[in-house]
Amino acid sequence: MFQQTHLKTVTLLLLAAAGVLHAYTTGYFGLELLAEIAILALLAVSLDLVAGYAGTISLCHGALYGVGAYVFAMTTTAAGWSAPAAMAGGVLLSALAAGFIGAVTARTHGIFFIMATLAFGQMAYVYVFKNRDFGGDDGLSGVPRLDLSVIGVDLGDPRQFALFCILIAAIGYLAAAQVLRSGLGRAMVGMRANEARMRALGLTLWSTKAAAFAISGGLAGLAGVLAAQYSQYVSPGLLFWTVSGEVLVVVILGGLGTLVGPILGAAVLVLLKHEVSSLTNHWHIVVGIVLIVAVLSGGRGIFGEIERFVGRRSGAGRAIGGAANAAGGPGGPGDAEAVGEAATRPGGESGHA
Amino acid sequence: MTTEASFWIVQTLNALQLSMLYFLLSIGLTVIFGLLHFVNLAHGAFYALGAFIGFSIAGATGNYWAAFLLAPLAVTVVGALLYLGLVRHMRQLGPMNQVLVTFGLIFVFLDIFRMGWGDIALSFSAPEVFSGRVSILGNPYPAYRLFVIVLGLMVLVGLWLVLSRTQFGAMIRAGVDNEAMAACLGVDVEKVFFAVFCLGCALAGLAGVVAGPILSVEPNMGTDILIPTLIVVVVGGLGSLKGAISGSLLVGSIETFGAVLAPELSAVLVYIMLAAVLILRPQGLFPARA
Repeated sequence: MFQQTHLKTVTLLLLAAAGVLHAYTTGYFGLELLAEIAILALLAVSLDLVAGYAGTISLCHGALYGVGAYVFAMTTTAAGWSAPAAMAGGVLLSALAAGFIGAVTARTHGIFFIMATLAFGQMAYVYVFKNRDFGGDDGLSGVPRLDLSVIGVDLGDPRQFALFCILIAAIGYLAAAQVLRSGLGRAMVGMRANEARMRALGLTLWSTKAAAFAISGGLAGLAGVLAAQYSQYVSPGLLFWTVSGEVLVVVILGGLGTLVGPILGAAVLVLLKHEVSSLTNHWHIVVGIVLIVAVLSGGRGIFGEIERFVGRRSGAGRAIGGAANAAGGPGGPGDAEAVGEAATRPGGESGHA
Repeated sequence: MTTEASFWIVQTLNALQLSMLYFLLSIGLTVIFGLLHFVNLAHGAFYALGAFIGFSIAGATGNYWAAFLLAPLAVTVVGALLYLGLVRHMRQLGPMNQVLVTFGLIFVFLDIFRMGWGDIALSFSAPEVFSGRVSILGNPYPAYRLFVIVLGLMVLVGLWLVLSRTQFGAMIRAGVDNEAMAACLGVDVEKVFFAVFCLGCALAGLAGVVAGPILSVEPNMGTDILIPTLIVVVVGGLGSLKGAISGSLLVGSIETFGAVLAPELSAVLVYIMLAAVLILRPQGLFPARA
C-alpha cells in the first residue's frame, strides 16, 4: 500500500529545492534540461501509478503523452482555443483514451497486457503519423505557451517556464499520492496482489482498471501538454512505443512502485543522456547497460535502494515496509512480477477462469 | 486492377513471402516465450545481427550461400553466450524485468550496429541462381522471393516433424505444457531450454540473412520488425507452431493486402485485428495450453 513516508517527503523536498535552486543558478541550457526533467518526471509518475501500484505494465503511456501534446497543439493552432481550455482538453482526452484502453484490456494479464497496451499505443502513433491534418510526419509547429501575464509570470522566459513545469509536476505527484491513498488506490494495490480474491470481495475489476488508467492517462496527458508548450512543436515521435519504453526505464531506474523514485529516475536519465552524449554519440549503449545493471541488481531502483539503506540503518521496519511494497515481499519476487507470473503460469489461470 | 487474376496472384505471393519472414522470427520468439516464459524483446536484434553479419560475410566472400550458412551460426553463438550470461538468470524475474533487460539489450545492440556498420542502409544482392524472375501462371515473379516462401515452408515442415515425431519434440511439448511434470519424468528441462533458445536465435539470424537482399540492412531493422512479430505471437497464441504460422499468415496478409486495397487504413488494420483478438480471445487463437 502507498505510504507518504518521511523519507519520501524529505526526498521530494530536496529534489524540489535542488530544482528551484538550479533554476536560479544555471544558464539557458540547464533550464531546458530542468524543464525536460520535470516533464519526464510527471510522465514517469503517471506510469508508476498503474505499473507500480496496480501491477499493469503499460506500454502505451508514450501515446497518451502524445495525445495530450497533440490535442493541445491542434486546438490552439488550428481551432484557436485559448491555452487553458486546450490544456484541459488535452488532459481530458488522454484520460478518456486511457480509460477506454484500461476497460478493454482488463481481461488480459502479464505480457498479454503489455502487448495490448503496446498495440493501442502504436495504433495512435500510426494514426497521427499518417494523418495529414495532424501534419503527418512533419509534426506541428508554432504551439503557444500558456499566457500567465495576468499574474506577472512570463512563460516565454526559460527560467519561469522551468519553474512552472516543476510546479505542475509537483501538483501531479500530489494528485497521484492522493489517488493512491483513496479507496481506489487500495483497490488497485489489492488487484496487483490477487485479482481473483479482489473479485471475490466484490470488486468490479474492469471499472477499477479503467478508472486507474484514466487517472494515470490524465497525468500523462498533462505531461504531454507541457511537452508541447516546452518545445512549441509536436511530432509523431512523441507517441512511438520506444517513448513508452524509455519512461518504463525511468520508472524502474528510480524505483517501481515508490512514486518518488520515478522523479529521481527522470533526473538521472536526462542528465546521464546529456553527459554521455557530450562524450560519445553512443549514449544508447550506456543507457542500455545502466538499465540492465539496474534490473539485475535487484530491480529496486535508486529510491528502493535508498529506502533499504535508510531502513537498515534505523533498524525500523517502517521504511522497509515501503521498500518491500515496491520490490516484493521478503525473499520473493516483486508483487508486480508475481501478478505477471500468475498470468503466465498454468496454475495461475485457474483463478481467472 | 483488383479484378485481374494476376493482381491477386502477385499480392498473394507477396503476402506469403512477408508471412514467412514473420514466421521465421515468431516461431523462435513464441517457443522461447512458451517454454522459458521469457519475453525476449531483443529477438529483433538477433534478426538485425543476422542481416549485418550476413552482409559482411557476403561482402568478404562474394558468396551469398556462405552468408546464408554462417550468419545464423554466428547469431546462435551470440545468443548462446547471452543465454549463459544473462537470460538463464532472468527466467525467474517475471515479465516486467525481462521486458526491461531485453529493452536495454536493444539499446546496446543498436549502438553496436551503429559502431560496426554505420547508420547508412546497406544491401547485398540475392544469389545468382535466384536473381531472375520465374513465371507463375503467366506472371513474372522474383525468384528470390519465391525462394523465401519455399524456405519458410521447409522450416515449417521441418519444425512440425521435429515437434510431432521426435523425442526432442516431445520434450519441448512436455516442457511447454508443464515444466515441473516434464522435469519429474526425467526431461533435462534446462538443456531443452538452452537448445530451444539457440534454435530460436538461429532462426532469427536466418530470417535476417534472408531478408537482407529484400529489405535494406540498417540498425533499426530489428526494432521495426519486432512489433509485427510480437503481434504475430500474441494473435497466434503462446508457444504453438500452429499459432505462429496462423498469426504470421494473418498479419502478413493484412499488411500486404491492406497496403494495396486500403492504403489509408492499412497501418491501423493490424492493430485493430490485434485489439479484436485480445478482447475476444485474450489467450490468442491457438495457445499451446488451453
